[in-house]
Amino acid sequence: MTGPASTRARLLGETVVIDDVGPGRRSRAYPSGGFASLLLTPIALLLGGILLWPVARTVQASLTGPDGQWVALANFRIALAAEGTWGVLGRTVLWAAVVPVVVIVLGYLLAVSRRAGTLLLLAPMALPLVVTGVMFRLFYDPDPARGTGSRVLTALAGLFGVPADSAPAWLGPDLITVALMSAFVWAWIGLPVVVFRAALDALPTDLADAVRSKGGGRLDVFRDALWRPLLRRTAAIVFALVALGTARAFDLILVMAPGSGLDEAATLAVRVWQTSGSATTGPAAALNTLWLAALGVGVVAAAVGGRQAWPPPVPAPVPIRAASDRSRWTTVRRALPILIALVWAVPVLALVATSLHSPQDAATRGWTTWSVRLSSYRDVLAQDELIRSLWFTAVLALSVTVLVVALALPAGYALARLRPPGTAAAGVLLVAASAVPVQVVAGPVNEVLELVGLAGTSFGLGLVHVALGAPFAVLVLRNALADVPGARVREARIAGRREWGVLWRTVPAAVPAIIAVAVLEFVQVWNDFVVGLLFGGAGTPLGLLLFGQTRQFVSNSGTLAAFAVLASVPPLVVIVLARRQVITGLVSGAVR
Amino acid sequence: MTSRRAVLSGALGAVVAGVGGCGRSPRAVQVAVVWSGGELTRFREVVKHYPRPVDVVSTRNDIDAFLSTRYRTANQPDVAIVPQIGLITDYARRGWLEPVPAEVSARFATPWQEMLTVDSAQYGAWVKAAHKSLVWYSPDRQSEPPPTWAEFVSMVQRLAAAGRPAPLAIGAADGWVLTDWLENLLIGFARAGEYQRLVDGTLAWDSPLVRSALGQLAAVWAIPGAFPDGIGRALITQQEESIIQVTEGRAAMVVEGDFVAATADKFRPAGAAPLASTRFPAVAGTRPLLVAGDAAVVFNGSSSGRDLVEWLTRPTSFQSWITAGGYLSPNLLIPPEAYGDARAVTRAAELRDASGTLQFDLSDQLRGSLGGPDGLGSWKILQDFLAEVTRPDAVDRAVRRLDRAAAQARREAGS
Repeated sequence: MTGPASTRARLLGETVVIDDVGPGRRSRAYPSGGFASLLLTPIALLLGGILLWPVARTVQASLTGPDGQWVALANFRIALAAEGTWGVLGRTVLWAAVVPVVVIVLGYLLAVSRRAGTLLLLAPMALPLVVTGVMFRLFYDPDPARGTGSRVLTALAGLFGVPADSAPAWLGPDLITVALMSAFVWAWIGLPVVVFRAALDALPTDLADAVRSKGGGRLDVFRDALWRPLLRRTAAIVFALVALGTARAFDLILVMAPGSGLDEAATLAVRVWQTSGSATTGPAAALNTLWLAALGVGVVAAAVGGRQAWPPPVPAPVPIRAASDRSRWTTVRRALPILIALVWAVPVLALVATSLHSPQDAATRGWTTWSVRLSSYRDVLAQDELIRSLWFTAVLALSVTVLVVALALPAGYALARLRPPGTAAAGVLLVAASAVPVQVVAGPVNEVLELVGLAGTSFGLGLVHVALGAPFAVLVLRNALADVPGARVREARIAGRREWGVLWRTVPAAVPAIIAVAVLEFVQVWNDFVVGLLFGGAGTPLGLLLFGQTRQFVSNSGTLAAFAVLASVPPLVVIVLARRQVITGLVSGAVR
Repeated sequence: MTSRRAVLSGALGAVVAGVGGCGRSPRAVQVAVVWSGGELTRFREVVKHYPRPVDVVSTRNDIDAFLSTRYRTANQPDVAIVPQIGLITDYARRGWLEPVPAEVSARFATPWQEMLTVDSAQYGAWVKAAHKSLVWYSPDRQSEPPPTWAEFVSMVQRLAAAGRPAPLAIGAADGWVLTDWLENLLIGFARAGEYQRLVDGTLAWDSPLVRSALGQLAAVWAIPGAFPDGIGRALITQQEESIIQVTEGRAAMVVEGDFVAATADKFRPAGAAPLASTRFPAVAGTRPLLVAGDAAVVFNGSSSGRDLVEWLTRPTSFQSWITAGGYLSPNLLIPPEAYGDARAVTRAAELRDASGTLQFDLSDQLRGSLGGPDGLGSWKILQDFLAEVTRPDAVDRAVRRLDRAAAQARREAGS
């Protein structure tokens, strides 16, 4: 403990912190400001350059003309006057309003009914959305021999006396949005199930007993012991998360909607992409700004809804299952998950079965006929592009994952433990940053990349991924590091002579969270389509390669299915292996 | 502090090197195409023979959005193979493209050269052509469709009244299939120069020519039972599926280009004869000859792109696709006999036709969003027209929409 006076002074300063077991209060004089800013600078530069500045630039472009002159709201007027804009806006809002409600209701029912089966529900989240799109496009194929979804719909219509040839079609203009939403719900249901289960586990059971002892019915128990104390807030957060997530329905719409129905299916994202090629000027920028504003409202809602911290985990999670509960409801509760599991599994089954047909059989006979043939896989694997793309995607995903963890861990530590001034604001900014859709800022992002000479390179592509993934990673790691028990931190502070040492000794406590962040980041990059579409240059990521094959279905269904299965294996394996950490990470990162 | 920073930046550097490493291998020449499925596979086989690695990216129909985004973000591909000639004009005027050398442009007949000429320089070279005035049918089940439009209409009526199979398969989920129908009729009805004036925008869409063409389309499309499982189903049937409907015997005929042959052969049931084709029926005395093509353009400053396009227009480059079938080219260096198959030889010869009746695909030449793609412009308007073709005012509504879309496209071009 010998050193120059300045070191000793800092050590003295540190003792102030040692006293503080929990996160320090901002008002306290804080001695490690320099260190905190060192930890936060890299990520601040990255997010500032690749997210904040481009957002500001987009907003500016929406208010200025081609030569940079101020035009007030003229761009907005032009954009809104264009044919179909209002329909597109309405559909975007519909997505953000309807899908979260469905996801929450279904997710809650599943969360209360059964403990098992989480993996099955979590697995869809591991799949690329392009694969989900392919899967449901095959499932909803208008030919009843091939598309099981269509067969069910025709049968249902038959019950109401509608003849088969005038039954509605899933991919037709009336139902296309419903079909798309169902695919989205399928993919996202795992999130609310996991989060609600964690919430229910944290709930004190005596509350329910208290309500019951006062003669409360089942509904009263739900309202007073579940909804009001806890679930309302959880539901609000899940709502916001899913609503923000619907901005990513872009991939699904492009893959699933047939050309004739694209107009009926298009959301803002699709329209902006189709008509402006992500231009950063004029009416397109105005639409982007509107989109950002809507997302901003969502973020504020999430911040307000989730302002109260998650209640600390209660040590004894006893599921509320009173003896008197054995009623018809119990039967429903037992049957529902099995039913949903079946419904959830059928599209996967259809995809795998289709991939085991030759392309000819897949097109003419449908997946329900028995066939175990690998010719579709042979067709796919014969393409050099696939092998090259697999390598490229794997290296990209791994590098991005390493970079994200390397950047987010120090930042999370600084925000959780050092809490420099502005920590609370940084939290809100991070939530906002994780909601920015990359299409909105593509143009300005590239101005930045060009400035540093990285436009069109794999490194530039990776950097965009890092910037998009880092906010969520910081949030998860911040929460995990804030949860590290005080005693552990105190030990670390005493043992670690320098700040780095303290950081290094605290990290092991956050290993599960680091694994969760790494896995989620890897999966996200592996599954990406949009970033590769906009910024890919030197190589073709897998998502883009698969998307390119989806111009024609039916004739191409066998090979498409085989490709989709192959592309899904790595993310699925990773998620299954790390499911515990992922679930904990999702709960902590998503909810707080 | 310095040493810590060094450690950190060292770690970052290692990752940077890792990412950079995969980019350091000789950069593949990147080509953006709209092809997918069989055509994409064929094209990849073609470029396998190129001495350098070629990275083929399929953008599906949204190639304009893709190329615009990539160009703005300065990571455009070296070469794009574009079917919409209107786009090539736009890009060339914006200065995005390089003109092709005279040596390459000399490989095409004059009308084909002119299609790619913008302000007296030729941008792009044809790598594939499509003969789009064909009716395909299964000779096992169906006699050859008649040579005049009136007879064709009554044949469709007769077949529809007889029930299964339905007379026509139509891949109406792909808007370009419908525009091809319309264009064949427009060419048939057009007096000298009228068709070209529609392209230039000097002839209004609300004109007798467009009205009579749409009216004749309605005369066929509105026949009850014209398509298998009705119009609603036709609108979500893709072009390649419509071919399979014919090979499987669910429909008698399909109207589309020479490229139908490749898909039809792939899905031909064992023992069935290959699909046969005949020219689109004569509308007002003359048989229309509608052609389209895919042109390879080189983006500014890409020398590897320049080399690739030169190679793609050599006579033997596309040999593997020619052998596989479903490929035609306007390239004069490829003699029609090279196509081997008798059908293809005839079609290839017709593409060279010097009599001047050949017309290029209209929607491909239209500027801005009027041309398409999915969900936009003429593609979408014709899909809506088909959806409501049984309404008495269907033609009026389609004409009005076309006029509005044209005005909008002009506004966009002006802004």
